Amino acid sequence: MARVKTQKQPMSKEKRKALLRRSIPIYLMALPGLIYLFINNYMPMPGIILAFKNYKAKDGIYGSAWAGLKNFKYLFSTQDAFIITRNTICYNLVFILVNTVFAIFIAIILSELTHKIKKVYQSVILLPYLLSAVIISYLVFAFLSAENGFINNTILGALGIDPISWYQEKQYWPFILVFVNLWKGIGYNCIIYLSTIIGFDRSYYEAAAIDGATKWQQIKSITIPLLKPTIIMLTLMAVGRIFYSDFGLFYQVPQNSGALLSVTNTIDTYVYRGLIELGDITMSAAAGVYQSLVGFVLVMTANFVVRKVDRESALF
Amino acid sequence: MKRRIMSLVLAGAMTCGLFVGCGSSGSSSSSAGDYDSPEEAAQAAIQERKESGEYPTVVIGYMNFAGSPAGLDRISEKLSEITEEKLGVDVELMIMDAASYSQNMNLMLASGEQVDLFNAVSVGYMPCVNKGYTLDLEEDDLLQTYGQGILDTFTETEIDGCRVGGTLYGLPVKKDDAAGKFGISIAAQYLDGIGFDYESMYEDGEEIIYTDFDTIDDIFAQLHEKYPDKTVFYMDVSSVVSQCLPIDIPSDNFGVLLNPTESLVIEDLFSSDQYMELCQRMYKWNQAGYISPDAITETSATTVQVKAGSLMAYKTATKPGILQQETNLCGQPVVIFQTGPDFKGSNAYNTMPWCINQNTEDPVAAMQVLNLLYTDPEASTILCWGEEGVEWQETSDGHITYADGVDAENSEYFNNVNWEMPNQFIAKIWEGNDLDIWERMQEFNDSATTSKAMGFTFDNSAVSAEYTALTNVYTEYQAQLELGFIDPEKGIPELVERLNEAGLQEYMAAKQEALDEWAKENGVN
Repeated sequence: MARVKTQKQPMSKEKRKALLRRSIPIYLMALPGLIYLFINNYMPMPGIILAFKNYKAKDGIYGSAWAGLKNFKYLFSTQDAFIITRNTICYNLVFILVNTVFAIFIAIILSELTHKIKKVYQSVILLPYLLSAVIISYLVFAFLSAENGFINNTILGALGIDPISWYQEKQYWPFILVFVNLWKGIGYNCIIYLSTIIGFDRSYYEAAAIDGATKWQQIKSITIPLLKPTIIMLTLMAVGRIFYSDFGLFYQVPQNSGALLSVTNTIDTYVYRGLIELGDITMSAAAGVYQSLVGFVLVMTANFVVRKVDRESALF
Repeated sequence: MKRRIMSLVLAGAMTCGLFVGCGSSGSSSSSAGDYDSPEEAAQAAIQERKESGEYPTVVIGYMNFAGSPAGLDRISEKLSEITEEKLGVDVELMIMDAASYSQNMNLMLASGEQVDLFNAVSVGYMPCVNKGYTLDLEEDDLLQTYGQGILDTFTETEIDGCRVGGTLYGLPVKKDDAAGKFGISIAAQYLDGIGFDYESMYEDGEEIIYTDFDTIDDIFAQLHEKYPDKTVFYMDVSSVVSQCLPIDIPSDNFGVLLNPTESLVIEDLFSSDQYMELCQRMYKWNQAGYISPDAITETSATTVQVKAGSLMAYKTATKPGILQQETNLCGQPVVIFQTGPDFKGSNAYNTMPWCINQNTEDPVAAMQVLNLLYTDPEASTILCWGEEGVEWQETSDGHITYADGVDAENSEYFNNVNWEMPNQFIAKIWEGNDLDIWERMQEFNDSATTSKAMGFTFDNSAVSAEYTALTNVYTEYQAQLELGFIDPEKGIPELVERLNEAGLQEYMAAKQEALDEWAKENGVN
C-alpha cells in the first residue's frame, strides 16, 4: 500500500523512460503476485454468468439456458437478503471499531514495557490468531456447552443463576462473536500498531518528558496523533472488506446451530450453505454476485468520503 | 544451438504424445441396432474391447462412513480381474466419507472429472437429475441392450420408481425398501440395570418388540432415575420426520401426504396434528431431562455415543437384521422397540439409485459394469466385503466372517454400507445374520403398508427459489422443535407463519400439480 506522492509537473519523455527502466525490476518482483491475482481473482470472473443461468451440467455453463433474475428471487422473497446484509455489515463495523481501539490500547501498553517479559506477552496475545477456527469453536464450546461448559457450571453456578442454553439463545451471540473476534484478532492488529509506535522518534518523548509531560499527556499528544495515518490506512482496508465475513468465525464458532441463524448468518455462510447443503450452484452464484456488487458500492462510497475529507488518505 | 533446438522439438513431441496417450480411447462404434438380440450386441461390445487390447477404465464412486479404506487399490484390482475377464473393462473404486461425499461429488460432476458410475445417496437424486449430471439410461436402448441382468433383478415397479418425468436416470439398489417407523433402540445393559423384563415381550421369532409410548415413557423414567448422569434419548435431527411418522414425504418435507394409503392430497406437515404430537412428545421428554441440553450442537452419531457410554437410547428405522446391525454399531447388545407401523413411501426406490455420469466416455462399458455388479455374486461380494482370505473367510455354516487376525479396527476394507451397493442380496452373508435374511427382507418389503404415491418424485426445479427459502426457514426451527427445546404450542405457529411467508403454499401447489399429473399417467386414483 505504499503510496508515491504524485508529481505535479508533467515529466519529459526521457525522464519517464528512465523511470520506467528503473522500475522494471520492481514490476518483475510483483509479477508472481500479479499472476496469482489474475488466476485467483480475475479468471473465475466469467463464472458470474452462472448467476443468470439455469445450470445443467450436460449443456455446460455457457450452453445452459438463461434464467434472467430468477436465481436472485429467493434472496429477496424472504428476509434473507436483509438479514445477511445487516449481519455482515453491522458485525464488521463493530469489529473495526472495537478491534482498533483495543489494539491501540494494547500496543501502547506493550510499547511502554521495557522488561524482557514483553516478548512473552506479545506471543501469548498473538497465539489465538494462529489457531484454526475449528479449534477456536471447540474452545468456545468448552465455555458455553450447556451441560459441561465452564460458564454454566462454574461461574453461573457460583452466582446462583440458572444455566443458559447458549447455543439456542440468540440474544447473547452478537456479544460472544465480537468478543471471540477481538480475542482472536487483537494480537495481529496490535503488532502493526506496536511496530509503528516503536518506529517513532524517541526525541519527541524525551523533549516532552523534559517539559514535564505525564505519560498520559505523551500518549494523547504524541503517540496517537503520530499513529493517525496508520489507523486510517488499516481502517480503510478493513472497510474495503466490510462485505466479506470471517467464515470460520460465523460458521464454526456457533457450531452451525440453526436456532442462531438470524444473528450468525452472513453472506459467506449463506453462500456456503446454499452450495454445500443444498447443492445449488446458481443460487450461490447469485448470492456471490450480490455480495460483490454491494461490496463494490461500499468500497467506492467509503473511498469517495475519505477523498472529500482527506485526499491524501484515500486508497485511490 | 542446433542441438538445443533439436532437444526442444523432441521434448515437445513427447509431450504431445503424452497427451494423446491420455486421450479417450473412444466408445464402441457399432450401435445396438446392428444386432439381432441384446446378448449378441453385448457380446460384440466386449469382443471389440478385448480385440482392441485397450481396456477402458470405469470409475465407480460411492460413500462410506470412514473415508477411503486402506485396501482400496487392491480391491479395485481384484474387481478389475473379474471385469477384465468378463467385460474387457478395468474398474477403479473411489470411496469418500459421508461427510464430504455430497460436496465432492457435486464438484466432480459439475467440473467434469472422471467418475462414470456413482451412487446418488446424500448428493440427492433429484438435484442430480435437475442439474443434468445423469445419463438417460434408456437412450439408444442402453439399459435394454446392455443391462438385461438388471431388468431381471427388479420388478417393473421398482425400476419405474426411479423415473423422473418418465425418463430413467438411475437404478434402484437391493435393500430394505420399507422402514419400521419410530423404532427405539436401547442398550440392553441399562434395561437389565433397571430390571426391565424385555425377554418376555418378544413374540415368537421376532427381533423387534412392538410396543406403545406408555411403555417407552415408563422405561425412560426409570432409566433417568437410575442413571441420572447419562443421557436417556437422542436422535439425529435430519431424519426425525422421515423415520418417526408414517407419512409419505415426496422429495422433501414441504408438502406431504398425511394419509398416504388413502389420499393423494398434498398437505402441510407443519400444521398437522401428527407433527404437533411428535414435537409435544419430544418437548415432554426434554422437559423431563431425558435429552441432553447439548443435543442441538451434538455432531457424533447416536451409536458412537452409546459405544462411548454417554447415551442409553436412540431412534432408528427398523428392518430385518436391524438387531445385529445396531448391536455391531453400538459394540454391545441392544433391544429394539418399535412404536410405529412398517411403511413404504414414495421414495422407496429412489433414495440411493446408481447413476451413470452424463459425460462418461463409454456409456456401454459403464452399463455393462453396472450390470455385472447387479448380477455377479463374486463381484458383489468383493464390493461389499473385500477380498477372500484377506478381509474375510468362510465359516463352516456358510456365513463369512473376519479373516484370521482381522477385526473391524484393522480391516482394510470394511465399509458396512451394503445397502448402498447395487445388489447385496447376492453377496455372501456376514456372521450374525440369518442365512434367510434376504427372503425375510423381501417379505418385509412386500408386506409393508405402501403409499399410494409410491414411485412419485417431485421435480422442484421450477420452484427452486421457494425451496431454498423454505429450507432456510426450517433450519432455524428444526432442531429446537424436533428435539423438544421449545414449546411446540408457541414454536410451530411461528414456523408455519414464516414458512408461508417464504412461499410454502406456492410450493405445495406445484407439488400437488405434479402429483396429479403423475397419478393420471400412472392410473392411480
